[in-house]
Parts: sequence; C-alpha cells; structure tokens
Amino acid sequence: MIRRRALLLATVCALLACGLSLRAQEGVLAPQVPAPEIPSVGMPGLIQELVLSGSELEVRPRDPKDPLVLRIARVSPHGSDFRYDLEFVGLEPGTYDLRDGLRRKDGTPIETSAGAPGSLPAIPVEVRSVLQPGIVKPHPPSDLDVPGFGGYRTVLVAAGVLWIAGLLVILLGWRRRRRAEIAEQRPATLAERLRPLVERALAGELSREQRSQLELSLVAYWRRKLDLEHERPAALLGRLREHPEAGPLLSSLEAWLHMPSPPRNIDVTGLLAPYRNLPPDAVPELDLQSPEPPAGNARAAGR
Amino acid sequence: MTQNPAQLSRDDFQKTEAFIRAVRQRVATVVVGQDVVVERLLIALFTGGHILLQGVPGLAKTLLISVLSKSIDLDFARIQFTIDLLPSDILGSEILDQRTNEFRVRKGPIFTNLLLADEINRAAPKVQGALLEAMQERKVTIGNETFRLPAPFLVIATQNPVEQSGTFELPEAQLDRFMLVHRLEYPSPEEEREILIRNSALGVQRQDGGAIVQTEFDVLKKEPVGSTNELVAAMEAVHRVHVSETFVEHVVDLVNRSRVHKSIELGCSPRAGIALIKAARARALMHGRHYTIPEDLFALAEDVMLHRMRLKYEAIAEGVNGKQIVAELLRSLGGGPLEAKHEMARA
Repeated sequence: MIRRRALLLATVCALLACGLSLRAQEGVLAPQVPAPEIPSVGMPGLIQELVLSGSELEVRPRDPKDPLVLRIARVSPHGSDFRYDLEFVGLEPGTYDLRDGLRRKDGTPIETSAGAPGSLPAIPVEVRSVLQPGIVKPHPPSDLDVPGFGGYRTVLVAAGVLWIAGLLVILLGWRRRRRAEIAEQRPATLAERLRPLVERALAGELSREQRSQLELSLVAYWRRKLDLEHERPAALLGRLREHPEAGPLLSSLEAWLHMPSPPRNIDVTGLLAPYRNLPPDAVPELDLQSPEPPAGNARAAGR
Repeated sequence: MTQNPAQLSRDDFQKTEAFIRAVRQRVATVVVGQDVVVERLLIALFTGGHILLQGVPGLAKTLLISVLSKSIDLDFARIQFTIDLLPSDILGSEILDQRTNEFRVRKGPIFTNLLLADEINRAAPKVQGALLEAMQERKVTIGNETFRLPAPFLVIATQNPVEQSGTFELPEAQLDRFMLVHRLEYPSPEEEREILIRNSALGVQRQDGGAIVQTEFDVLKKEPVGSTNELVAAMEAVHRVHVSETFVEHVVDLVNRSRVHKSIELGCSPRAGIALIKAARARALMHGRHYTIPEDLFALAEDVMLHRMRLKYEAIAEGVNGKQIVAELLRSLGGGPLEAKHEMARA
C-alpha cells in the first residue's frame, strides 16, 4: 500500500518537472506584471520582480514634456537576464508602454519583435484620472509678450547693467565734486593751515584744549621728523630743543603758551617759516578746523 | 592761570637758584652722577611729597640722603625695615618711668625731618600702614596724646625690586601716597670710573689707638650749605611758579588717557594730576624757570604716574611694562580729540 502511494507521488512530481522545463524552453518568461490597482495621476505605480531578457536596461533621459516619469527602483541579475522593480508616475491619464522609456546600458538597440533573442516585450501600464469626466480644464497660460531682443533674461541683465552704470556715474560725479570742494578749501601748505590757528591763539580765541593740542601736535611732528620715536620721553624735549630748527621754534612756542606774561611781539611769519614748504596734512594730529567758541572753556571753569 | 597768587620776584628766584645750586654741588662732592635722583629728592623736599626709590643695593641711596640732610641742616633718621618691626618702633611708645611711677612718651625715629625707610617692603603691612598714615596726616598719636611731626617732613623709602622673597608688596592705595617713585639706574661707565677713583683715594683713619678704613660717610662735610629758612623760602618759591592753562590741559589730557588705555586696568587718580603739577613747578624752578613747560611733564610722568596705574593681566602676559605704556601715553598726546579715544576704549 505504501509502495503504491510513493509511486503515485513520484509520478506527480515528474509531471510537474516536465511542465516547468517546457515553460523554461519558451525562452522568455512572460512579464510577470502583477495586477496592481491602477494608479491615478501623480501617484506612483510600482511593478516588481519583472524579469527582462538581454543586457541591463536604464531609463532614457526624460523630455520635460513627457506625460510619464519612469524610474528603475531596483535591479538585480537573474541568470543571463536582469530582474527589475520599475516605478512610474503618470502626469496625464492614459495607457503607456514603459518599454518606450528604457534603453540598453551598453548602447545596443532594443529588439521589439517577439521571439527574437533579447527582445523586450511591451510593458503596458495605465494611469487613471480621479477627476470626474466633463470637468473643464483651465486654459494654459499664454506666452508673455517679451520685447524683441534676446528674451526676458537678456532684458533683465541689460536693465541691471544700466542701473549699476547709472549709480557709478552718480557716485563718481559726487566724489569728483567733493574733491574739488575740498581742494578749494584746503590750504596749500602747513604754514597756511597753521597761520589762522596761531593768529586766533594770539587773539585769545583758541580754547585751552586747542592750544594744548596745537603745541603737542607740533612736538609730535618734530619727533617724527627727527626720527626720535624711540627716544625716552624724559629726554625727548631736551633733544628737540638742541635741534637748530626745532629748538628755537618750540622754545618760542613754549614762551608764548606758558610764560605768565608772554612776549607781545610774536613773529608769526618767522614762527611758521619751517612749515612753509610742507603739505597741509604733514601734522595729522592737528585737527582744529572746527574750533569751539571761547565759551567752550565752561567745562574748565566749572572745575 | 590762577595758581600763582603772587609772582615770583627776581630776588627770590635768584636766592632759590643759588640755594639749589649749593645743595647740588655739596651732594656732588660725595655722590657721583645720580643728578636725576638728587633732582627728584629736592622736588619731593620742596613740594612736601614723599618719595620711594627703587633700586638694587649699592647705588648710594643712603649716602645720598645723608649728604642731603647734612647739606640743609636737617635732622635725619634711618630705619631698616624688617619683618619683626613694630609700629611702636617707628612711632614711639609710652614707657613707665619707675622713678615717678608715671607713663612717659618716648618718641620714635619718625620725629625727624628726613626719614629714610630702608627696604620698606620688608616690614609687615601694619607697620607699613602706620608709617604711611603718619606720612599722610603728618601727626602721630602715642597713647592719648597726638604729636605733630616736625616740618619739613619727608619720607624717603627704598625698595629692592629684585629680591621679593619674604617681602610685603605695598598696595596701590599706599603707593599712591608717595608723590614720586623713582627707579634708580646703574651709573654710566664714566660715572662708575669716577666712583672707583674716588673710593680708591679714601685712606685709613686712626681712631682710639686703632684704625678704620674710611668710607664715603666718613668724609661727609658737617657744615650745611643751606638753612631751614632757605628751604622754606624755596618751598614758597615753588608755589609761586606759574602754571599755564595749556600746561594744565596737557596734564588733564595725559591723566585721562591713562584711564582709557587698552592695557591699563586702573588709571591714574586725580592725585596723580596734582602731583604732576606740584612736581613740575619744583622742576621748573630747579631748571631756572618761573613757569612750567611740557618738558617738565615729559620728564616727571614716569615717576609720578607709573606706580598709580595697574596694568591688565593680558598686557602683562604679553610682556608689556608700565614704562612702555607711559611712553606711549606721552607719544599719543596731541593725537586727536580725547572723545575719540574714549570711543575707542569703549569699543
């Protein structure tokens, strides 16, 4: 009894094996397209485990106007063929053949005639619309009327260049005018710049801060000119006093600014003689162009 | 400027000049060089300030002060500060007189005209405090009695800048009471040669059947070249030296710059400005002028300001020292309005 049953089981297995081998001899397995639900516009559809014969496939570069987006989600070898997972998104409803969006990686053409070795069968998919039939679509936007030369982008660039050029013209013009104004106001030499200051100081019109700054600025100028930057402060003014040009000048300035009864006849021209050929900005510390009124001594008076 | 209510007369000016010249000549017979130190000591004496001398041992500090006191006929006392010194050792104390069975005041060495506080940083802070308080108030309380210190009264303290072990550094508040802190430098080669020649010429002095090798102290002339009256006249003359508004402005500018400098944590107090003006007046007189000039300010700034400033930690770590900062402050004078400096400091 048991022997008869085993014989029956062996016969069934042999029949199944024969059937499978006959299927395999057909050359190409028919696309095992599952029967998924039909994706709607904009929603992804997926075809899995699709075995396609021939060399490996890839997605063709897409034209922006194509109504279908195709992507190979996964690929793996399957004997001499390849097994693919294909993902697609339809942008318009309709029926499409995914084969149209594929090409061989090795550049060989795709054979479409059935039965030919390496031929690719059609991979039909459908994209449905969720809109009710009869809905009126909006009109597509009409092309803008762009001026004749070169299109919108060129017009933008040209406008930007013009705007920057205009700004530069305005800025450079203002700068040139300002330079001209300053040049008109600026004295030609340091002596010319100092003369009104000294005369105002003689007339008692300079505040104590300005007198202080005038004196120390000139000390700083001579210190730089005689290269005494690294001289000890205690010895600096002694060294300046020894100099044939700076000495008499600073001494008369000291006498005038510090003596209880300064000498009345100050030779301003002689005092300023060493500065006659110097540029007006030779003493950068000297910045007394906007003098405070004598009443500015209120701060000191309040002490 | 209204700091000089009465102008200095030519006669007073000449007398003071002669007195100063005589004192300097007398000092020069014993001490070689050190003109700047002598000048600073006289400035302190004429202005009633006190002076701290910083220098290594052997720079004739004690000799200098001895000869100065003998030149002007002033009392002189010297205290060697040590760790075990007590305030009563300086100020004095009450002692019990066993004959009368009553307490009697014994005045300390502070009751003198010139007091040399040698190595002041070796004493404990309470001793330093007692001395510095007496310096400020010019009076001393012993028991229940208060005594005024003699006039003139000048403390000349010394401090060794290199040997710091077992010392108590004077805090800024106490350093501020010294009008001047002068850092002594080594003599020049010429001066050093002269010192050696003079020292070699000192002989041996027979004494009590024996003999001692003479030192410079043994050849000090006893007769003064100036009297206390002349000193008082010189002090009065200093107060009549003219200080211009411009000079005051220089001082204000300098002191303010010390408060906004990026490397200074604690700038100079107004006392620094006061000391600068006082010292500048005395220096002007000693240089034959009856008015101050920027040279006085530049010469005295380091001695007056350096000990009144505290540098920032970052500046010290970068190797910046106070002398450089004072030099920088002086160089910056006249360089633009102060407001701009304030803005820079705030930024």
